[in-house]
Amino acid sequence: MSESWQSPVSAGASEDPVFVGVGELPSGRYPQRTFVGDLTIVAGRALQDAGMVPRDIDTIVLIPNLHSFNDQADLIFSRMVEELGLANHAKASFMMHSGGSTSDNGVRVAAGLISSGHAHTVLVLQCERWGSANLAEMVTMLSKNGIPGEWELPTGLQFNAIGALITRRYMHASHSSAADMAAMCVALREWAQLNPHAMYRGKTLTVEQVLASRMVADPLHAMECPMLADGAAAFVMTSAENAKRRGIGATVRIAGSGGCVSHYSIGQERDLAVLGWPVAAERAYAQSGWGPKDAAFGEIYDSYAAVTAIALEGLGLAEAGEGARWFSKHCAPGGQFPCNTNGGLLSAGHTGVGGGTALLIEGVRQLLWRAEAGRQIENCRRCIIGGTGGSYMDAQVLLLERVDAGAGR
Amino acid sequence: MTPQLVATFRQHLKDGELVVQKCGACSRLNMYPRYACPFCQSENLGWEQVSGSGTLHSFTVLRLGAPEGFEGDLPYALAVVKLDEGVQLLGRLLPDADGDWSQYACDQRLRLTPSPAEQMPYRPCAWFKRAG
Repeated sequence: MSESWQSPVSAGASEDPVFVGVGELPSGRYPQRTFVGDLTIVAGRALQDAGMVPRDIDTIVLIPNLHSFNDQADLIFSRMVEELGLANHAKASFMMHSGGSTSDNGVRVAAGLISSGHAHTVLVLQCERWGSANLAEMVTMLSKNGIPGEWELPTGLQFNAIGALITRRYMHASHSSAADMAAMCVALREWAQLNPHAMYRGKTLTVEQVLASRMVADPLHAMECPMLADGAAAFVMTSAENAKRRGIGATVRIAGSGGCVSHYSIGQERDLAVLGWPVAAERAYAQSGWGPKDAAFGEIYDSYAAVTAIALEGLGLAEAGEGARWFSKHCAPGGQFPCNTNGGLLSAGHTGVGGGTALLIEGVRQLLWRAEAGRQIENCRRCIIGGTGGSYMDAQVLLLERVDAGAGR
Repeated sequence: MTPQLVATFRQHLKDGELVVQKCGACSRLNMYPRYACPFCQSENLGWEQVSGSGTLHSFTVLRLGAPEGFEGDLPYALAVVKLDEGVQLLGRLLPDADGDWSQYACDQRLRLTPSPAEQMPYRPCAWFKRAG
């Protein structure tokens, strides 16, 4: 297999795909909000952030929801084209799906369409209504999807158990204590206090509280498990040339990406304390020319703390076995490597497939220097985005960098 | 209707045996059972009974939030088991005499054990317990 991942599009090229705007609605329980309403409003916010109106986009890429197959069908069959007034104008509207890593793959798709000329300006849209859905139905849905029905369904596997299998192996391999894992949740909660869109803003958390909460799936306590939330996010990408023509100032480009799909079934992962991260990181660094020390901050999928700790090690940010302790020491507000600055899935809320989207747009927002005061990482220029989907089937890495207005064009 | 591939695997489990797939062309063992060999793509696939001995890669005890139909099983333990023959699978762990799993730890030796069918509805999956 060829391991050359050189990108044909370089910084400063007219067809270089760039992020120009992001939009988001608060995450949490919002039973009064509606699916199509949220999608319409969040699209408007992202377009406004880019200085655009709906007719400036030609392609809509839809990130799926997990709360309703009927709503899914609305996405697939172009409802948002009609809602946004783009009938007879939009070139394409389609959904793509790889679970929690959809946003990462969505960026690749949008970037590929733009750099190859198949699209000029792409709107990527996401909404999830998990927080307002029937919890028992969602638990059952998550126990049947993404798990091999023939071989693993008969065991009674479900999503917290999958997170627990990874956490147990990670704690064993790294000699991380229960307090080490809980401290990661506490650091994420500190970030949530700075994010007005976070589900757990205004609710503090201590290690003692985490360890005193009910055991759900050993070694995971209730407060180490993600809370299902409503949420919506969107971003706009276009070519560097189009951004320049429109007079858009700073943009964010993709310096490189890497990925590795390491399994489908949790029972077939060779090492639950490693997953696909080392291979994904090596590929991303090879394409970008970056190393782990070149980024100012990270936004790395955290449906369970161990998932992020494993990623930090695979990315070469933390030494092997030190991921959990490194996160608590360096990644909280004020740390040397801010990470999951929106509070992550664990404290901003788990918006299904949107959890990764929220982390992605937080990274772009930080690089555009548009986060709220107190949360904004000053003068940040480079970010590592990490995503994963299904039963942590893949590791996806996007390396993003800020391009200042007029730079290199 | 249960596909033949699945029915065969489950019938062996009912008989107290664990079988894995073996490729008739390249002779490599494979799990989970597939429709073509993932190593050489041959469709000439057969079965081989394995010892049932292996090591515990990871496990969890689910105490809350069972999927539909599993509520009566709580609490129960799930395990990723690496068999000595080099293939792996997800199964259930038998509790100790005290009804809990506190003596289990990663990398312990395991062996296949009969499904405790009299204690709960039959689940077509492999059960393991600590060896020795």
